[in-house]
Amino acid sequence: MSQEYEITYKAKNDYESPVNNAHWQFLIIPEQNLTQELISVDFTNSINAYNEYSVNGQGFNTIRVQPKTAFENIVFTGSFKVRKHVVNPFDQLNDMSPVAEYDLIKTLDFKVDHEPFLRFTPLTTLPVDHEPSYVFNFGKSIFENLQELNTWIFDSFEYVPAVTNVKTTLKEIIALKQGVCQDFAHLFCALCRRNSIPARYVSGYLHQGNGYIGDTQMHAWAEAFIPTMGWVGFDPTNNILASGDHIKVAHGKDYSDCPPLRGVVYSMGKNETTHSVEVLSQQQ
Amino acid sequence: MSNIENGTFSSYLRNPSLFDEIYDENGSIKMVYQKLFDHFGSHTVKDFVQLNNKAKASFFNQGITFQVYGENETKEKIFPFDLFPRIIDAKEWDIIERGSIQRSKALNLFLWDIYHEKKIIKQGIVPMELISSSNNYLHQMIDLDPPGGIYNHISGTDIIKHSDGKFYVLEDNIRCPSGVSYVISNRTALKRALFGVFNHYLTYTVTDYAENLLDLLESVKPKGVDNPVCVVITPGMYNSAFFEHSYLAKSMGIELVQGSDLFVENDFVYMKTIRGPIKVDVIYRRIDDLFLDPLEFKPDSALGVPGLFAAYLKGNVTLANAPGTGVADDKAVYTYMPEIIKYYLDEEPILNNVKTYHCSRPEELKYVLDHIEELVIKPVDEAGGYGISIGNTLTASEIEKVKAQIKETPRKYVAQPILSLSVHPTYIEQSESFEQRHIDLRTFTVLGKDKEFVLKGGLTRVALKKGNLIVNSSQGGGSKDTWVLKN
Repeated sequence: MSQEYEITYKAKNDYESPVNNAHWQFLIIPEQNLTQELISVDFTNSINAYNEYSVNGQGFNTIRVQPKTAFENIVFTGSFKVRKHVVNPFDQLNDMSPVAEYDLIKTLDFKVDHEPFLRFTPLTTLPVDHEPSYVFNFGKSIFENLQELNTWIFDSFEYVPAVTNVKTTLKEIIALKQGVCQDFAHLFCALCRRNSIPARYVSGYLHQGNGYIGDTQMHAWAEAFIPTMGWVGFDPTNNILASGDHIKVAHGKDYSDCPPLRGVVYSMGKNETTHSVEVLSQQQ
Repeated sequence: MSNIENGTFSSYLRNPSLFDEIYDENGSIKMVYQKLFDHFGSHTVKDFVQLNNKAKASFFNQGITFQVYGENETKEKIFPFDLFPRIIDAKEWDIIERGSIQRSKALNLFLWDIYHEKKIIKQGIVPMELISSSNNYLHQMIDLDPPGGIYNHISGTDIIKHSDGKFYVLEDNIRCPSGVSYVISNRTALKRALFGVFNHYLTYTVTDYAENLLDLLESVKPKGVDNPVCVVITPGMYNSAFFEHSYLAKSMGIELVQGSDLFVENDFVYMKTIRGPIKVDVIYRRIDDLFLDPLEFKPDSALGVPGLFAAYLKGNVTLANAPGTGVADDKAVYTYMPEIIKYYLDEEPILNNVKTYHCSRPEELKYVLDHIEELVIKPVDEAGGYGISIGNTLTASEIEKVKAQIKETPRKYVAQPILSLSVHPTYIEQSESFEQRHIDLRTFTVLGKDKEFVLKGGLTRVALKKGNLIVNSSQGGGSKDTWVLKN
């Protein structure tokens, strides 16, 4: 079964006085992987500045824009067509008892190979005094534990836009019991890493036709490495596994590795930026 | 013993408990220093007052200054220059040179390994924490092959001579080691002040550093480039080492640029010139990793070049030193240097390592806390001598404070026995005479593709405060011209 999506990303920037020097880097092109095929990429900007396709330090595709003329307003529009193939995560399941799984993730080779995604970054560090309300049951498989963790985050935290920002720490989020997708993805990663399970933050798009929670900007979820299954996506904001409706762009240790937009703009006066994302689907 | 008749040195107080470089074990002046000693003796103390003032003026006039970062203010100073040169004979130099190359090569192989297969960690030779708890380990560098396979193109190795007469390495600086311009200006200054002393010795030149550095930088050019364009990038004139950045660019005959002079297009780096853009192939960068590219690292960095890391990733430009080398000049890595040398080169270390206690290990932490008076406590991730505590100089309350700091973040500290650095006659302005002061040596090793170069000289730093063991310029140290003899 496959499904096609058409994604439109828009960013609009208005400046009070003309800008002579600006650099932007967009990390918004869906990645190519086993479950998603990139059919077309179209990116434009309203002042006809050159759009440079490149990569970032994690190997994901980027678009850089460095206008050579002064401007006061600029609109960026990205349109991407993606074909998603739904793959059953249990297809590649290899046989391993929970004991063998936990033994494997404690080996030095495993820890060294997954070091980047076992690291506690500033955004994925649990408070020192935090008594985790969520405790793993080592009698169950890693996958079952992570499903329960997904549900626990969904049940215990309320989705409230704008109470947090990209710098909010887990300490604040745990105290608030509120947040948005990126906060929940950070919390999921942190609790995985605390239990020696590699986890990475994923930035992407969510098709909201099915009544899922997200926002009209980009979505965030997490992927955990399960020895029996490989990397599996969990969306704690919606208490589901990442599936056909999740279109992945990039991953990293946390948000700071994969913000959709990075910019260095030398401007005077006020400025205003608005983003919007639209995901349309066509059943094939 | 001729020293008794030597006018200049008649008041030189020789503390027999210190290892004085100019005396042999019998208390006589070493052969190699005799002519220098006699030459200095032919001057009066008054001459030295004058010569010292001349040398100082010369440094000021040439703008050879550095900045000291303080809590409240930043000051521009000259790096005090001492008139009495240090001599290293051919035999001793051979050990230092081979030892410096050995360490630089081992560190380069270590960096390659920890950014590729990570065999040394998987085989349990060094602990995983060396990368997993290091903020200088750049994940962007994993599986990336730097041009020519070189990470630490330029290494600065800090070496001391202990009272046992052996050489010990205190640290390996492989981020952006500075100081080489002082080696060259010290030689110039001494030639101006006391030309006669050079007549008696066959000394290697130090002015060939720039040509060798450029040659080796060109050897690690990106693939497909015939005549590489090299530049030096500086954070700007307010950086403490700006004099050196401009000096190196000038003496290599290449452009000195700031981030805003460069731009990236189609993943190639260009320099803006009045004749239009010129493609840049090799960048000797004197800005830290996290400031290189605001689109990849620190987003608020105004020093870097947007897109530079992508150009590097594509193999279109060489950065020297490579990003991410800082992980290997962590003081925790230092303690494993004997193992690292053995593992990659299958050789015994030529230069000794100082026994180091890791506060992150419970049993060693206990030893450190119990013997703090006999130890030097160093933070693992600070450079320039900042944050160092020397146990036997601390008051009781300072000891308690240091102990509390260590207990709070043990991973941040290592401790070493207090070494007795060798001493050397040094002209002291206040007393208008020569006195014993502690010295060290920083060598400069350059690795290129299948070749290497060690500057035959290096920077001898001297702690100008009596009894002080910290020689860093930021901590009030000076420096001496350093002669490597040809025979």
